[in-house]
Amino acid sequence: MSRTTALRGPVTVWTVLKWTLAIAIAIVAVFPIWWMFNVVFSQPGEPVSLNPRLWPTSLSAGIDKIRMIFTETGYLGAYFISITYALLTIVGVLLIASLAAFEFSLFKFPGRRIMFGIVMLALMVPTAVTIIPTYLLTSRLGWLNTMQGLVVPGLASAFGLFMLVQFMRAVPKEMIEAARLDGAGHFQIYWHVALPLCSNAMITLAILTFIQTWGNYMWPLIIGTRTEMYTVGQVVGMFNSPLSHHTVDTVMTANLLAAIPPLLFFLIFQRKIVEGIAMSGTKG
Amino acid sequence: MAFIDISAVSKIFGNTRILENINLDIEHGQFVVFVGPSGCGKSTLLRMISGLEDVSAGTISIENEVVNDVEPALRGVAMVFQSYALYPHMTTFQNVSFGLRMAHKTAEFIAARVQQATGILQLDKLLERKPGQLSGGQKQRVAIGRAIVREPRVFLFDEPLSNLDAELRVQMRAELMDLHRRLGTTMIYVTHDQVEAMTLADKMVVMSGGRIQQAGAPLVLYDDPDNQFVAGFVGSPKMNFLPATLVGADATGVRLTGIGGGGNAVLPIVGITVAAGPVTIGIRPEHLRLVTEGATSPECLVLEGRVAIVEELGAESFVHLDLPDSTRVTLRAGRDAGRIGHTARVALDLERALLFAADGLRLRGRGLVQQ
Repeated sequence: MSRTTALRGPVTVWTVLKWTLAIAIAIVAVFPIWWMFNVVFSQPGEPVSLNPRLWPTSLSAGIDKIRMIFTETGYLGAYFISITYALLTIVGVLLIASLAAFEFSLFKFPGRRIMFGIVMLALMVPTAVTIIPTYLLTSRLGWLNTMQGLVVPGLASAFGLFMLVQFMRAVPKEMIEAARLDGAGHFQIYWHVALPLCSNAMITLAILTFIQTWGNYMWPLIIGTRTEMYTVGQVVGMFNSPLSHHTVDTVMTANLLAAIPPLLFFLIFQRKIVEGIAMSGTKG
Repeated sequence: MAFIDISAVSKIFGNTRILENINLDIEHGQFVVFVGPSGCGKSTLLRMISGLEDVSAGTISIENEVVNDVEPALRGVAMVFQSYALYPHMTTFQNVSFGLRMAHKTAEFIAARVQQATGILQLDKLLERKPGQLSGGQKQRVAIGRAIVREPRVFLFDEPLSNLDAELRVQMRAELMDLHRRLGTTMIYVTHDQVEAMTLADKMVVMSGGRIQQAGAPLVLYDDPDNQFVAGFVGSPKMNFLPATLVGADATGVRLTGIGGGGNAVLPIVGITVAAGPVTIGIRPEHLRLVTEGATSPECLVLEGRVAIVEELGAESFVHLDLPDSTRVTLRAGRDAGRIGHTARVALDLERALLFAADGLRLRGRGLVQQ
């Protein structure tokens, strides 16, 4: 009994205010997602009628809408493009960021600090600023409406590098030296020692890259002008546009389908994400 | 030429000289211990032998081959680190076999070598465990196993026992001595613990301030140190140093005054050529003894002091006395030898006393006066 009281602590005005604020923020964050479910899994028009319902009423109606979206629009193709785009970006970002982080964090070479400083400056430059020169370059390479045009410009991730550098700095130098004495070459040390020791950080970076790539709207919109190169973001954007002639429940279904993969990812890996971010902040 | 020949080696980091003109010969099969206080450059010297640190000047040769520019892995050396540096994501087997796998040896060869090494170190039952599931002593053995399996020409140990508790340290020390006897390989060992150095070394290299202060057999360094630093560093409890003034030297020895705040004595060392002035007498705790009131002896100087601390160790005790000039001396005595705060008389065996100049160098005569 006393233990329970001790854990709860005395109820003060501050506690009440804190909880009220937290619950209010949670409602603001969760309600739109809940509303999306509600609209999708109800008979068309029901939740937005004069007598709105706050809970789903028809599972079959929702399934019908999902089937309709997948079969009658280019949504499935966009899903494929988005997943390929996300997976290729993840592989590329992990490879490039980890190789660069390995060098920056564990070895000394001339110009290291300046180069790392320049990379970190890139973190502060908004994407919108670099998007036109990047577009021009990609266009000159003839990569418009191609998968490489979509993927390659996003492979050098300053954030990913920063995060992995923080992790790899925590790898004991003696471990690298022991590997050198054991006859491991530069790449072998990276592959057999540094990389496995940073697996947690790599998983975190993969998840964050997935969420970011999946939600990326601007770059795919600019680079992919042909419908067969549309990503989920663009297709959802078309559903959302004022002249799309889609009813609100179809639009909501398209949005829900777009939101499910990152939501699932986050729900499954949320511990890893929090751990990863917390570790990258404290271990540096 | 010696098995390992270190010739005029220096190490400079930026503007700081870490090592200065190091010259050292190491014979095949010797157990050499580098010992000295923190920051004396002993680990840097070891790392230079391993190849992990570049040589700023001079040469390091192993079996007549200059290895200054040879990659660490090709020098035929293996190193055991203070932190063990085991790969946490690998099992004992994978850790021990890492070097062989990097050398692309066959699976049968690797299995045989690992079995041999783990057999010597009694690690057979721990092959599937990861470092996180091993105790400190077991981790240490795995680290040694990783070194043994490569059959190196030289083993390098960088303070390998520092992270172990006192009991385990003594046990591992014995195991290392046994390992050295069995393998017969040259071993170089770095420590700041002079007891560890004394017990393990065939050759002890005392370092300070980036220089070798003296190198030789442990007992030679104990009995016949070259300078006050070595005299004070080797031995526990450490040697007592008493300030004195040299007033002259003749055929009977060196005449000293002001020892411990007023004692006069003739130190039986002849042939010293040094001007009168301040000197330091060095005398080991076992060459002091407590004497009763009124006792005198021609070859002993008797001083009076106040007992400050008594450390009872069971079989013996260490008595710390404050002399009138506040110099503290320590002596080995039997049980219940002194009472704190009481006055005690201590006799110094002058025949065993050493003399150091004001700059810390040993003042050696041509010999002791023949009695």
